[in-house]
Amino acid sequence: MVYSASSYEASTKFNDSAHYIKSQAKATFLGLIVMGFVSKLDYHFWKKVYLPIYLGSIFLIFLVKSPIGMTINGANRWIRIGGMSFQPAEAAKLGIIIFLAVLICNKRKSLNSLGGFINCLIWALVPTGLIYVVTKNLSSAIIICGIAVVMLFVASPRYWYYILGAVMVGGAVAGVIYLVSSGILPESMSFRLGRVKAWLNPEAYATSKGFQTLQALYSIGSGGYFGKGLGQSTQKMGYVPEAQNDMIFSIICEELGLFGAVAVILMFLILIYRFLVIANNAPDLFGALLVVGVMGHISLQVILNIAVVTNTLPNTGVTLPFISYGGTSVLFLMMEIGIALNVSKAHSAE
Amino acid sequence: MKKIKKFTFRMRKKLMVLFILVLAAFVMLSYKLYTITRDNGDSYKRQVLSQQSKGSTVLPYRRGDIVDRKGSRLAYSEKVYNLVIDAKAMHEDDDKHLEPMLSLLESEFPDLDMSEVRAYVKDKPNSRYKIFLKKIAADKKEEFEALKKAGVSSNDADGKKVTIALDGVWFEEDYIRKYPYNTLACDLVGFVQGDNTGFFGLEEYYNSTLNGTNGRSYGYMNDDGIMESTIQEAEDGNTLVTTVDTNIQSIVEKHIKLYYEKYWNNFRDGAAAENIGVIVMNPNNGEIYAMAGYPVFDLNDPTNMDGVDLTPFMTSTSSNAVSSNAIETQTSVSEDSLSVDAAPEMDEETKAMNKIWRNTCISDSYEPGSVMKPFTTAGALDAGKITGNETYNCGGFLEVGGHKIHCHNRLGDGLLTVQQGMAKSCNVVLMNIAFTMGKDEWLRYNRIFNFGLKTNIDLAGEANASELTFGENMGQTDLAVASFGQGFNVTMIQMAAGFSALINGGYYYQPHVVSKIENSKGAVLEEKTPKVVKQVISESTSQKMREMLRTVVMSDPKECTGWSARPAGYTEGGKTGTAEKYPRGNGKYLISFMGFVPAENPQVLCYVIIDTPNAPNQSESTRMATVLNKDIMTEVLPYLNIFPTEEMTEAEIAELQEKQGEFFIGSDGVSQNSVSDDVVEEGQETVHEDDGTIYIPDPAESVSYDSAGNVISQNAIQYDEATGYPLDPATGEVLDPVTLEPIDGNVSFISD
Repeated sequence: MVYSASSYEASTKFNDSAHYIKSQAKATFLGLIVMGFVSKLDYHFWKKVYLPIYLGSIFLIFLVKSPIGMTINGANRWIRIGGMSFQPAEAAKLGIIIFLAVLICNKRKSLNSLGGFINCLIWALVPTGLIYVVTKNLSSAIIICGIAVVMLFVASPRYWYYILGAVMVGGAVAGVIYLVSSGILPESMSFRLGRVKAWLNPEAYATSKGFQTLQALYSIGSGGYFGKGLGQSTQKMGYVPEAQNDMIFSIICEELGLFGAVAVILMFLILIYRFLVIANNAPDLFGALLVVGVMGHISLQVILNIAVVTNTLPNTGVTLPFISYGGTSVLFLMMEIGIALNVSKAHSAE
Repeated sequence: MKKIKKFTFRMRKKLMVLFILVLAAFVMLSYKLYTITRDNGDSYKRQVLSQQSKGSTVLPYRRGDIVDRKGSRLAYSEKVYNLVIDAKAMHEDDDKHLEPMLSLLESEFPDLDMSEVRAYVKDKPNSRYKIFLKKIAADKKEEFEALKKAGVSSNDADGKKVTIALDGVWFEEDYIRKYPYNTLACDLVGFVQGDNTGFFGLEEYYNSTLNGTNGRSYGYMNDDGIMESTIQEAEDGNTLVTTVDTNIQSIVEKHIKLYYEKYWNNFRDGAAAENIGVIVMNPNNGEIYAMAGYPVFDLNDPTNMDGVDLTPFMTSTSSNAVSSNAIETQTSVSEDSLSVDAAPEMDEETKAMNKIWRNTCISDSYEPGSVMKPFTTAGALDAGKITGNETYNCGGFLEVGGHKIHCHNRLGDGLLTVQQGMAKSCNVVLMNIAFTMGKDEWLRYNRIFNFGLKTNIDLAGEANASELTFGENMGQTDLAVASFGQGFNVTMIQMAAGFSALINGGYYYQPHVVSKIENSKGAVLEEKTPKVVKQVISESTSQKMREMLRTVVMSDPKECTGWSARPAGYTEGGKTGTAEKYPRGNGKYLISFMGFVPAENPQVLCYVIIDTPNAPNQSESTRMATVLNKDIMTEVLPYLNIFPTEEMTEAEIAELQEKQGEFFIGSDGVSQNSVSDDVVEEGQETVHEDDGTIYIPDPAESVSYDSAGNVISQNAIQYDEATGYPLDPATGEVLDPVTLEPIDGNVSFISD
């Protein structure tokens, strides 16, 4: 899929239609090795190193500002180690899963109280805030925060915190949407909110902020029920920006149609279901929480990505796990799968 | 073993809640995908397709040429370029080449509004396409591209010379329409406005034939995922080969112009006539050689009316003069029914320009007057109602329905044969003939000669005269005046086409301007062979008519009305016309002459109408039309290789020599017709290479032609002392003063 979606841009930019797929293949290959290794590694190992991992991922975030930091497309989100570029936010996602799993195990009892709950949440909010402030990467911040919320939700015995939180967040979002759509907010403030405006009415911003969304919708619509056939997308030829990346799902819709899109969603659903089963059968709480974190991570990314592509949510740059282009992302996702596999193995070994 | 913290049941329950939430989100998103596909699939599909075509570029076609019968181009399309600015490319490389590019543009294209360009580049840095200048000539474009390619050298920070590559400006192909003869045949050719849309004349009638199909250059992805472009070439438009002869057309236009100059302020202040129209055609096949009116306009710039006095065309009363000559029973023909482009909300100036653009010869209708008489007579002869040997007594008038309808000669001419009646243009004779025929027969022949119907000539804007002729309710008075061409309206082309049939043996040819259509490569797509629509009268009737019409011109001046139309050395037949305009009794007349040469075997037909001549007694001024006919014929006949057959008198020779100067020296206005210097074509041997003029050279210089058709200076011509004829400076042979051919002459002058 990456190959199909990226070949046009790759051939125009790098004169090699396989540029992206080659780089992706390298990352995936590396990811497979790492996964194999991690799946052999007893997951309790992570318990011992959780603090270095947490601090390390925060350190990596700061490295973006150091000389080895890299700027791509105006976004300062990468660091270069050796010959490879690396996105610290992806590491931070894994970091927060491991860290929170350990934290929750240690402070399980205190989670019953609001103070303990907030205490845990703050640990998660530190990297979240850092990622947003240092790398200006709102979507990664949201996901890290989301992972934390999911893990705490599962671990804590209470519901009403969440219901209350959801109502509050929902109310705030609705308020912002109302303010934006009614035009009460001054222009100067609405820069960030331009995306929201574009989301509400993509046609009106067809040449600016709504362009990507609108083109994604065109792709989905033009694919029909069974698509144009693999490799037959025309939208990828410069019309859908980031076709191989955030917007890859729209190209899937165009080439494989609604049928293919639903098939992809079902595959994710199966994957997530497997996480559910593994978590339920995990030999201990730590293993279960690790898997819940992974599950939360993947679910969130899938939901956010598809929601953005279908203009259900305003445009944020979330990639589709395993499918979108992105070496770091694949590497760490593979690592997460490796952890989940090890947890699963621990159960069957029991 | 330390206590293992378990994943509790409560947690499992919550995990299940989480999974259900995820599942719900997935289902919702799938449904959303489904609704997008269902509701917007088609429109988005179209949107995607339309975006694709945006990526491809249009390759414009070239509109076809219009050429005359010898191949001289009357109209052609020339490739030009539009200047396109790509703001994004201009800003590339950190604006390094922005300023050099802009200053190069400024110096190379002075017409370019640089403030606008700068504003565009500044305000829309991501825009990639905007046209700033149109119609740039190819050499200018190449010059600029060479400069652009060379780049600009400047000193960099280290003081080293570096060349900055320029980018951000490119050119897009387009075509503009050019008319090398400027005003020549303007009403007949028509012009093009906007996106290759023809207006008037051939340009409008053959608009779709002349236009081609745009090509496209598409980008597509090949199997290796590489962008390739495929080009579908534009299909150029077809070329019209017309029957028009540029030389004859310029002769006609020159004489119209001379007429206007001669009679300016002649009797009343102002123009020599309210309108004038001339058709020269071949009576044997319906081919139009020339068609002209006045005033002319420059086809290259049709809205530029400099040098044309619009005031006579501004008020509807005067300009409407021709067409308002309607049937009495119908009061007046409204301008709208005749006008081909009667837009109600046009301003005065546009209306006036429309009147100048329209072709008088096909778009204006009028009462024909006595030129109708041969039609009446031919009908009566052909139907056997008269034999041609009858005599009628003309007492100067005939009383019909209580009205005294007068003859031109109010005293009466006494006993007249049919032939004499024709030669003297006696109304009484014609009224009697019409009464002999009866209303039904007269109407039948009127229809046979196509009056009231369009001739379907292949020009835009032919007037529909069906409402302007008599119908079944025609009364006796109507029949009386109709016999000599009053009371109903015709168009010039109807008259000329009908008259051709009258004298060519009775075959009605559809008048036409285009003889064949060629594709852009020169292959003939369609040959428009002369089309006999019908036989209107018998060969013998036609023969009788030729004999009768010969006497109109060839009789003793006292016995005929048309003697002054005859070009020296030729026999001519024809008919004069003097139609009283509506309202009757206002002293306004439309004078006309229809002539054909040679009288026995017509080869060329010339029809002249002059509406409201600027003369003291318009009813006596028919000579203005006959002389105009003579002047045109005198020049056209030798050009068409029709040789004089008759002896010329000393007076005629003297007159010819005197007129020689007038014929070959164009006035200022006419020399506008000369071919622009840059478009002199090869193989056009009649065009003088210095100024490209045919017959109408630079007015400062007197020019004539030698036997080889080359232009020679008038001053260099020696005259033969015995005959007064010019001598060929090359060979010393005595030349015919009219044809400029050696007297013994079988040397080809201009062969067809």
